[in-house]
Amino acid sequence: MAGQIKIMIDAIIEQRAKGSKVMEGVVKTKLILKGIDPKIYTSTTPDDPVVIGKLHEMLIEVRFAAQ
Amino acid sequence: MKVLTAFSVKIDVEGAVADLKDQLKDCDARLVLFFASPAYQPDRLAAAMAQAFSGAETFGCSSAGEIVTGRMLTHSLVAMALSSEAVRSVKVEVLTDLDKPDNKAFASFERHFGVPMEEMDSGRYVGILLIDGLSRKEELIVDRIGDLTNVNFIGGSAGDDLRFSATHIYAGGKSHGNAAVVALLEPAVPFSFIKTQSFIPIERTLKVTRANEEEREVIEFDGKPAAVAYAEALGVAVADVGAHFLSNPLGLLFEGEPFVRSPQRVKDGSMVFYCAIKEGMELSLLQSTDIIADTKKVLDDDKTAFGEASGIINFNCILRTLELRQKGLTEKYGDLFTDAQTVGFSTYGEQFIGHVNQTATMLVFH
Repeated sequence: MAGQIKIMIDAIIEQRAKGSKVMEGVVKTKLILKGIDPKIYTSTTPDDPVVIGKLHEMLIEVRFAAQ
Repeated sequence: MKVLTAFSVKIDVEGAVADLKDQLKDCDARLVLFFASPAYQPDRLAAAMAQAFSGAETFGCSSAGEIVTGRMLTHSLVAMALSSEAVRSVKVEVLTDLDKPDNKAFASFERHFGVPMEEMDSGRYVGILLIDGLSRKEELIVDRIGDLTNVNFIGGSAGDDLRFSATHIYAGGKSHGNAAVVALLEPAVPFSFIKTQSFIPIERTLKVTRANEEEREVIEFDGKPAAVAYAEALGVAVADVGAHFLSNPLGLLFEGEPFVRSPQRVKDGSMVFYCAIKEGMELSLLQSTDIIADTKKVLDDDKTAFGEASGIINFNCILRTLELRQKGLTEKYGDLFTDAQTVGFSTYGEQFIGHVNQTATMLVFH
């Protein structure tokens, strides 16, 4: 499988930034500081379970917080 | 007055706190933020501050040097009082288990402000984070906060005058170790952030190929022992790399902005840093520039963009302070903060979006 990481990154950025360019930069910075550089992942990047796990946590946090 | 600062160099807790109380009497404080030399007995200091400013929330931490309007100090107690004209509302919580941070503090913020954390407007609310500077838990806490909310938390890691023995977090009249205080503010005035580091990237990068993240240790860059690769990148002998740590740290770049990772020491060919570095990260070698000129520029830029500052909280890295002390520039640095009421301290780490080193992060009230 490939491309899952990019899909998750795009979802997190969309969810968190809600269209704000400033917030998009902040979210990307947070990802880079976690060791996930959004610009290196494409639709053909092989799925890495470690990275997917970190991103999954971020998605879960957002969902948790929204409840 | 909406923002007022004070300092005391009296050596006894009661005398120093009474000194501050007298100086801050013209401010009907809603919040009093304070930073103190570890020479002040922590439990007595926290209790005395809460008692002296009983109508306000009080919190702060121990430091490795203090900053107050127009001055850099040592062995002192400094404070900023903010009235309801500056801060509409504030809620302070303590995280006492840094190994397993939970969401209780954030649930408390949601109850206090009546807004879910993820819906809070980052232009309306701001967070302050002060954390045990010897805990090595900054990344865990900052990451957690960043996952929960878009509100910006800014802050510093508590110091202890370079003793590296114990740092203290103060909140609600008590002193805490291995803890963090998180405060969520709803300012009544516009506010902005400054993150400044006096470095420029030079055209060399090092990729982390092996690391022990928990120990903040890089074992290999580019498949070579970390110290060897760092020495080669600088063009110096491995034995001499320690002399370059202050002026040539590494930086994680985002759109040209460095997030500084400072080397602490060489350990059997590995390099230990003051913050965690993850495998796969590509780091740029940095070259130091002029702290005074760079700080003046960002303060001027902030003034141009947002107007006059009424108050500044400055979290200034101890490594910057040491460089200023070595170069005899502490007075000049203090002079940069004469126009606005300023409080701050020399930190063991700085926080803004992430955990960084050799940086000053500032919260500016306008």
